[in-house]
Amino acid sequence: MSGAEHALRRISAVRGVRGAMLVSAPDGLVVSESSMEDVDGRAIAALAASLAGRLRRAAGGAGLGRPTVIQLRGETGTLLAVPAGEELLVVAVGDRETNLGLARLELLEAARGIA
Amino acid sequence: MSLVNFTAREITCKIVYYGPGRSGKTTNLQYVFGRVPETRRGRMVSLATHGDRTLFFDFLPIELGSISGFTTRFQLYTVPGQSYYNATRKLVLQGADGVVFVADSQARRFDDNIESLQNLQENLLEQGVDVRQMPIVFQYNKQDLPRDLVLARADLDEALNFRGVESFAADALHGSGVFETLKGISELVLRKLAVGGPAA
Amino acid sequence: MRVLEGWVSGPLSRFLDESAARLVLLMTSSGQVVAQHGFTRSVDVMSAAALGAGIMASTGELAHLMGSPRFGALVHQGTEQGLLLSGFDTPRGRWIGLVAFGPESSVGIVQLFFQQFTDEIAAATPPEEQRGPVLAENFEHELNASLRALFGR
Ligand SMILES: Nc1nc2c(ncn2[C@@H]2O[C@H](COP(=O)(O)OP(=O)(O)OP(=O)(O)O)[C@@H](O)[C@H]2O)c(=O)[nH]1
Ligand SMILES: [Mg+2]
Repeated sequence: MSGAEHALRRISAVRGVRGAMLVSAPDGLVVSESSMEDVDGRAIAALAASLAGRLRRAAGGAGLGRPTVIQLRGETGTLLAVPAGEELLVVAVGDRETNLGLARLELLEAARGIA
Repeated sequence: MSLVNFTAREITCKIVYYGPGRSGKTTNLQYVFGRVPETRRGRMVSLATHGDRTLFFDFLPIELGSISGFTTRFQLYTVPGQSYYNATRKLVLQGADGVVFVADSQARRFDDNIESLQNLQENLLEQGVDVRQMPIVFQYNKQDLPRDLVLARADLDEALNFRGVESFAADALHGSGVFETLKGISELVLRKLAVGGPAA
Repeated sequence: MRVLEGWVSGPLSRFLDESAARLVLLMTSSGQVVAQHGFTRSVDVMSAAALGAGIMASTGELAHLMGSPRFGALVHQGTEQGLLLSGFDTPRGRWIGLVAFGPESSVGIVQLFFQQFTDEIAAATPPEEQRGPVLAENFEHELNASLRALFGR
């Protein structure tokens, strides 16, 4: 198992997380994914990469530097994304019960390992 | 089948120049390209090998103007004549509204013309098109070459043109017959769209 | 945006909004243009359609020869602009989409919304209109005049 796959497994193992993946940021394509149950990985990859690109411009414009963590809370769950270098994005989707603190730590850890 | 846009009142037809290798198909399009004003034609797209042999196709879109209130455009294509490229010939032939068969009038190319015509029939048949339903005209090209090298129009008609459709003697290099050929196929193709024409 | 038949407009403008594509060309397998957005000269549209249909047809044939199923899509990622070429089935036969996009979009976004677009198109395609004669009986006169003008005769 590659380092990336191993890292994605660890994220998926966090309570409430329904899936995790590595996304190519400029293309919005899935590079690797782990147990994306009932989630359209392709769609999330494309949209999360697009969102991250916009937020990066917004953060730059507001003088915040680059985003380090993106957290989007919806009515029934949360999407987390952490840039790993220039080209990659670690993305996870979880339900309302997700242990968000731990999930973030695992994403940051994964991004450090990959970048 | 010709594409008709009733809203914008436009007609687009696809005409394919078919025939054996080096018979002068590309030369026909080059002549048309050179004659038609720039505002009425697009770029000529030629996918050819280094030696100018057509590899995939040549493509030239021209705008005829308004006919019965419809802006009428023709897409002229050539196929690669070399027998090796039959797969690409089939692709270019797809959806053709009319065919110009460009034969090489040289006596020594007689068999190549026949072979190419048979190949046209086979390829159309494979696409479920009956050759007899396809508008077609013949062009006997290179008539400028010395008399003893070329066959006369009557001889070529006898060998190739069993349906007795229109045929034209041509010298595509200098342009004679190119216009008449295009006019001939245009009439046949548009006839299918006209009142009193055969059902499309 | 220019469409051959009105019902294509809705799905096409949604696709343009969502994908942020720069150019879109929808054509039949034989290279006839069905709709386009972003081109200025109709003759350029025709050349692009002829080439797009040619590429689709030849890669399809190539896949067939190599015993693999038909390619779903071809993507070309350039430095300034990317291209997506993709075929899909409609009740009127196979159609092809050619999409050009810049850095404001991405392959993933374009593919995602293109899929939705083609689903919408396939579901919305009305049966082909039975058409009567289009041209007047004596159209030859106008045709000849047009051709003569075109060739400067
Ligand atoms: N003398 C003479 N030469 C011609 C004529 N038409 C074409 N040629 C020459 O014949 C050669 C082949 O012409 P092309 O137009 O390239 O032939 P083609 O049918 O497109 O050939 P492929 O692409 O291989 O199928 C060229 O050298 C032309 O200049 C003609 O009417 N008279
Ligand atoms: Mg040629």
